[in-house]
Amino acid sequence: MTATRTLPPGTVVSVHSTRGDSGIWSVYRAERRKLSSQIAIRLLALVCLLGPFVFAAILKVQAGSPTDTLYGVWVHSSGFAVSLVLLAFAGSWGFPIVGGIVAGDIFSSEDRYGTWKMVLTRSCGRRELFTGKVLAAATFSLGLLLLTAVSSLVAGLLLVGDQSLVSLSGTLFSPGRSLGLVLVSWLLCAVPALAFTSLAVLLSIATRNGIIGVIGPGLVALAVQLLLLVGSGIWAHMLLIGSAFNSWHPLFNADAYYGPLIVAIVVSVAWTIACLGVSWLILRRRDFAGTPVARRQGWTTPVRVALALAGAIALLAIASNWGPVGVTATRLQANFTPAFNNLTLLQQRELGRAVPAGAKLNIVPTCSRRGSSPRGPGDWVCTMNVFIPQPGAVPFQQTPVSYDVSVQSDGCYKAQSPPAFIGNQLMRDAQGHNVVNPLYTIYGCFNTM
Amino acid sequence: MVAVRASNLVKRFDQTCAVDGVDLVVQEGEVRGLLGPNGAGKTTLLRMLFGLVRPDQGSIELFGRPRDGSDAGSLDGVAGFVEDPSFYPYLSGRTNLELLAELDRGRAQAHIDELLELVGLGSRGGDRVSGYSTGMRQRLGIAAALLRAPRLLLLDEPTAGLDPAGVREVGELVRQLSSQGAAIVLSSHQIVEVENVCDSFTVLRQGRVVWNGSAAQMRAQAPAPGYALATSDDQQALAIAAREQGVDATLAHGGGLEITVQEGYLDPYVIALGRAGVAVRRLELLISPLESMFFALAGEARPDARSEQSDRAAVSA
Repeated sequence: MTATRTLPPGTVVSVHSTRGDSGIWSVYRAERRKLSSQIAIRLLALVCLLGPFVFAAILKVQAGSPTDTLYGVWVHSSGFAVSLVLLAFAGSWGFPIVGGIVAGDIFSSEDRYGTWKMVLTRSCGRRELFTGKVLAAATFSLGLLLLTAVSSLVAGLLLVGDQSLVSLSGTLFSPGRSLGLVLVSWLLCAVPALAFTSLAVLLSIATRNGIIGVIGPGLVALAVQLLLLVGSGIWAHMLLIGSAFNSWHPLFNADAYYGPLIVAIVVSVAWTIACLGVSWLILRRRDFAGTPVARRQGWTTPVRVALALAGAIALLAIASNWGPVGVTATRLQANFTPAFNNLTLLQQRELGRAVPAGAKLNIVPTCSRRGSSPRGPGDWVCTMNVFIPQPGAVPFQQTPVSYDVSVQSDGCYKAQSPPAFIGNQLMRDAQGHNVVNPLYTIYGCFNTM
Repeated sequence: MVAVRASNLVKRFDQTCAVDGVDLVVQEGEVRGLLGPNGAGKTTLLRMLFGLVRPDQGSIELFGRPRDGSDAGSLDGVAGFVEDPSFYPYLSGRTNLELLAELDRGRAQAHIDELLELVGLGSRGGDRVSGYSTGMRQRLGIAAALLRAPRLLLLDEPTAGLDPAGVREVGELVRQLSSQGAAIVLSSHQIVEVENVCDSFTVLRQGRVVWNGSAAQMRAQAPAPGYALATSDDQQALAIAAREQGVDATLAHGGGLEITVQEGYLDPYVIALGRAGVAVRRLELLISPLESMFFALAGEARPDARSEQSDRAAVSA
């Protein structure tokens, strides 16, 4: 070190910025650079880019399909369904994990490396640091979401095709409309994705522990999935941080409804604001007095957080019956019957039979819930009694078709019937091609509000 | 102009009062040594000046601007580090400086290579910080501080981990910045490392200021320096010391004498020994006046001269 030449004091850094921009963007640029240089983020981007192609390629060479997921049965019939299946998976697990990896360590890493004292003694205040870091995390979360969306669409369209998508009401959406709806669906999921990113920020700041910040959102997503399976009230389910990931489902009804979608977006925004608000309060009030030995990273904090999470889950499980029951036989029948009607007509057309426009089957539906309670999510049985006109003394022949229906708390369901009633998953169309039997698995969603 | 004006600063952590009613004024161009043993409150005081820790009581002004913990504007022209400088270990030294320059809104990006050269890291700037030694991190920390071309430099133990040449170079750098008008606050618990660099000292003990003044004042008030003396006839040397003015001598446990000599009386004593036919075989400064003063003020035990000598003997052997 030779002290022969130094920068004259005060000549470079002055009170006013020479670049003329806010410190927030300085922090943003620095954080963006740090995140870009991390191997975990680069790997994540690679997975988001290539994962959909790998998924679509595997589907292409396999005869089966992921029927448990909404639109899973249609992945061989329309490239748009590929994107929707990936969206459903990403909503349940992908985005919370992405949020955790991107934002869960963005603040706690400064504790781990001891760099708070370096960054807080530059020309950016706490407010600018907080805002810049949050914006960088949000940019990466949304960027990875966008990458997955584009990749899944391109993979689906390239490897499967741009065929029309069957709506949840059994009608066909044109490729153009399907594309628009798929894009809107991905866009809607950006809102809860930001909520999970904000949750990761909160965990990162509150616990100062990168492990909790990174895996915490994934654990919360797991808890949300479990809570969606219990209880019958609609309010607790609607207020969960991850419930908005399913808010796009109603858009795929022929008659879309928007009430749950609006509530879900408001709830996600509220979660985002709450998480970021609490995070800022903690950061603003914090003294950076070094890390006492007692506060150094260990297993005490993770155990405390795990216990708090378990307590919260227990409370939410108890609260899951809060509010009116949205899943009723009347609503299920009112939704399932026209879907069954439309899908039957679709099946008949694919088999080459003439079906007049606006044709309607004479159906008397009966839906009942298995178990003690006649209402609520769970396992149902719906029997479609189809009355087919007959020549002769008996004017109608009654043909009952029974479906086992698994209904979720948000009103979305999957119905399957034994092959003896409606045939196998695949059937031969009029041209001799193997196509999906529209009646084999029926997906639907109805308004629970 | 006053660079730092801190009044009645108080900071408590739980039951511990880390800083208790501290006042500090540092002028531009002044190099202030902030001295005290470990736990005296030096780092907490620097953290408060940086806004990393909010004082429970008192006020801080930097260049006349009130220091508000959430306002980075009041840190304009201020740089330095507390404790050891820390960096992102997975990035190179240069990238770390680029990120810090970005947080200064990109204004010093062009000077990074120049500063890396200045602190002796020109050839290692591209290496990851995880591979740096403590001294290299210290040098990078100084470069990070200089990136802001500070008018006020707050350095906490800046020579920790540096080799003797590095310590000397930091001293030269500090003097150079000071000559250009920068105010500098150097915290240290080793007065010998900063006594030739500082214009003034503030000594802290258990969170309180126990001495404050110029280096000249401290030297004037400092007790007589202590020496280890080995002669051909220690008994006669002891007797001569008793007759000489300003000399106080005692027999040391391991042989030889320990003497304290007031300013101006050492030479006459040595001449008197020579005249009496007593050969001086070793005369070694055990503790400097400022060091002695520091130990007295800081309430620390003076290093045991005998044990120091024994250590040296062991090393020689």
